[in-house]
Amino acid sequence: MSDLDRQIEQLKRCEPLKESEVKALCLKAMEILVEESNVQRVDAPVTICGDIHGQFYDMKELFKVGGDCPKTNYLFLGDFVDRGFYSVETFLLLLALKVRYPDRITLIRGNHESRQITQVYGFYDECLRKYGSVNVWRYCTDIFDYLSLSALIENKIFSVHGGLSPTISTLDQIRTIDRKQEVPHEGAMCDLLWSDPEDIVDGWGLSPRGAGYLFGGSVVTSFNHTNNIDYICRAHQLVMEGYKWMFNNQIVTVWSAPNYCYRCGNVAAILELDENLNKQFRVFEAAPQESRGAPAKKPPPDYFL
Amino acid sequence: MEWESDDKELKAAGAEPLPDSRRGLRIHGWEIESRKLSILNSVHLQRWEKELQTSHLPEMVFGDNCLVLKHVNSGAKFFFNAFDALVGWKHEALPPVEVPAAAKWKFRSKPLQQVVLDYDYTFTTPYCGSETVERNVECGSAITDEGSSCIRWEDCKEKIDLVALASKEPILFYDEIILYEDELADNGISLLTVKVRVMPSGWFLLLRFWLRVDGVLMRLRDTRLHCLFGEHNKYIILRESCWRETTFQALSSKGYPSDSAAYSDPSIIAEILPIVMQKTQKLNIGVSCKQ
Repeated sequence: MSDLDRQIEQLKRCEPLKESEVKALCLKAMEILVEESNVQRVDAPVTICGDIHGQFYDMKELFKVGGDCPKTNYLFLGDFVDRGFYSVETFLLLLALKVRYPDRITLIRGNHESRQITQVYGFYDECLRKYGSVNVWRYCTDIFDYLSLSALIENKIFSVHGGLSPTISTLDQIRTIDRKQEVPHEGAMCDLLWSDPEDIVDGWGLSPRGAGYLFGGSVVTSFNHTNNIDYICRAHQLVMEGYKWMFNNQIVTVWSAPNYCYRCGNVAAILELDENLNKQFRVFEAAPQESRGAPAKKPPPDYFL
Repeated sequence: MEWESDDKELKAAGAEPLPDSRRGLRIHGWEIESRKLSILNSVHLQRWEKELQTSHLPEMVFGDNCLVLKHVNSGAKFFFNAFDALVGWKHEALPPVEVPAAAKWKFRSKPLQQVVLDYDYTFTTPYCGSETVERNVECGSAITDEGSSCIRWEDCKEKIDLVALASKEPILFYDEIILYEDELADNGISLLTVKVRVMPSGWFLLLRFWLRVDGVLMRLRDTRLHCLFGEHNKYIILRESCWRETTFQALSSKGYPSDSAAYSDPSIIAEILPIVMQKTQKLNIGVSCKQ
C-alpha cells in the first residue's frame, strides 16, 4: 500500500495527518491544481456536491449514498471548511483523493476557501487546536488559491459555488481571470464565489449590505443562451430540501450539509448525472449521533444569568 | 447531548415532568414547556413571507420552536417564538448596515439594470416575548383573549436578584431554544435564542438577540424574566430589558481588538458593550386575573 493510500484510509477514519504529511500532500496537490483551467472541463457521468462545511461524518453518508471515489466521479462546489467540527479531516480527505485520482474528482473554490473567512468561521481555530500551530492552516489556505473557480460538464452544465457576475457574460471571460490569489472583496472572482440568485429582482440586485450581487431570471437566461449551456448548478445557500430549482429550471442550488451546523434538521442532496446527462437527485440525512465518535457526555447545569 | 433532569430533585421540589415525552415540567401551578424542531421548509417559509409581507426571512427560521410558561390557574401564558419576533423586526424596520466591503463597491461600475435592496438584513427585533391570558381556564370559554388587560407590566425600581440566581440550587429543567439565525451571508451573525432554567425557588429565562456585523457593529438585546414561586399561588415576575450596542471602530479606539474572531461569545463580551437602553418592569399574577 502506498503512503497516499494509507493516508486516505487514515483520513477516512477521521484521523488527521501529521503536519509534515500535510505539507507534502499540499505540494503534490498544487502541481495538479495549477494545471487546471478556471473553467475546468468535467466529463459525465459525474456526481455534483454542494457545501460540506467540515461535517465529516455527514460527508461519509454522502459517499455511502453516492458511491466511493474513484468508482463514482465527483465534482465538489466548494465550502469544504468552517462551521463544522472536522474541517481539517474533511478538506484533507478530499485533497488526498484529488491527488490520488486527479481525473475522478474535481474541487472548485467556495467563498470559505479564503484566509480571511476561515479566521472568523472556524477552520483557523481548528488547525490551531489540532496541531498547536497555524502551519497546516497556511498550507491549506495556500492550496485554496490554486482551486479552480468553476467547472463545465460536457459543455452543457456550468458549475460554480455562488453565481454570476455582471462583469462576465462569456466563459472565456472567466478563463482570463488570474485566480491564484486570496478571494478579492470585489470583482468577477468575488462574484462567482459570493453571488446569489434572487426571485424578486429581474436583472441585477445589490444586497442591502452594500456588497454582494443578486441576479434574477433574465440574467440567467441570457448567460445560458450566450454560452450555449442547459443550466447552471451552484451551491452556497442552505436549502431545507437539499436542492432547489429556480427560474424555470435554468439554475439549481445543491446543498450537501445535512442537519447544517448540527441543529437545522435539513436534508442534503447530491446531483447524479449519467453519461447522457440524465439527472437524479439523491437526498440524504445526517449521520446518526452514535456514529460520530464524539463522546456523549451529560453537560453540566448551565447557571446562566 | 441534551441536558437531563434528575427524578429525585424533581420529586423533592414537588415538580413533575410533562407526559408523552414533551419537554418540560409542572411546578407550583406553572406548566413550562419547550419545543425544538427543524428549520422551516420552503413551503412554510413562503407562507410566512406572505403573512409577514416580506420577501426576506432569516435563512434559518426555527418556526416551530417555542418556549411556553403557563400559569394554569390564571390562564396567564408567556411564550417565545420566531413569528412574533419577526413581526417586531418588520415593525422596527431599521435601515440597512453597510459592510466594510461596501466602500470599495461604490466604485464598481454598475450593471445596467440594478436595484438596491434596502430591508434590515440583520433581523434586529425589539421582541421581548409574547403573552396572553387563556380565559377558558376560568370562564369556560375557549376564546383566547390576545393582549388581555390582565397582563399589565409596570415600570419598577426593583432589580432581578442576580446574586440569588447565582446560587447553585438544583436545576430541575433547562433548555436553550433557537428561534432564528442568519449568517448574514458570511458577514457575521444574527441569532435569537431563549434559555430557561427552573429551580425549586422559581424560573428564570434569558431571551437574547445577538448581532455581529463583521468589522462594523455588535448589538445585544437581552430580556430576562424571573419568577419567584411565592406563597398562596401569588407570583411576582420581574422583566429586565437591556440593550447594548457599539461599533468596531469605537472598540478599537478604546484598545479592544478589532478582529471579528475575538467576538464570538456574547456572554463574555457583553460587559464591554455600552448600554443604550435599560428598563425593569413588574407583573403581579394572582386571583385578580379572574373575570
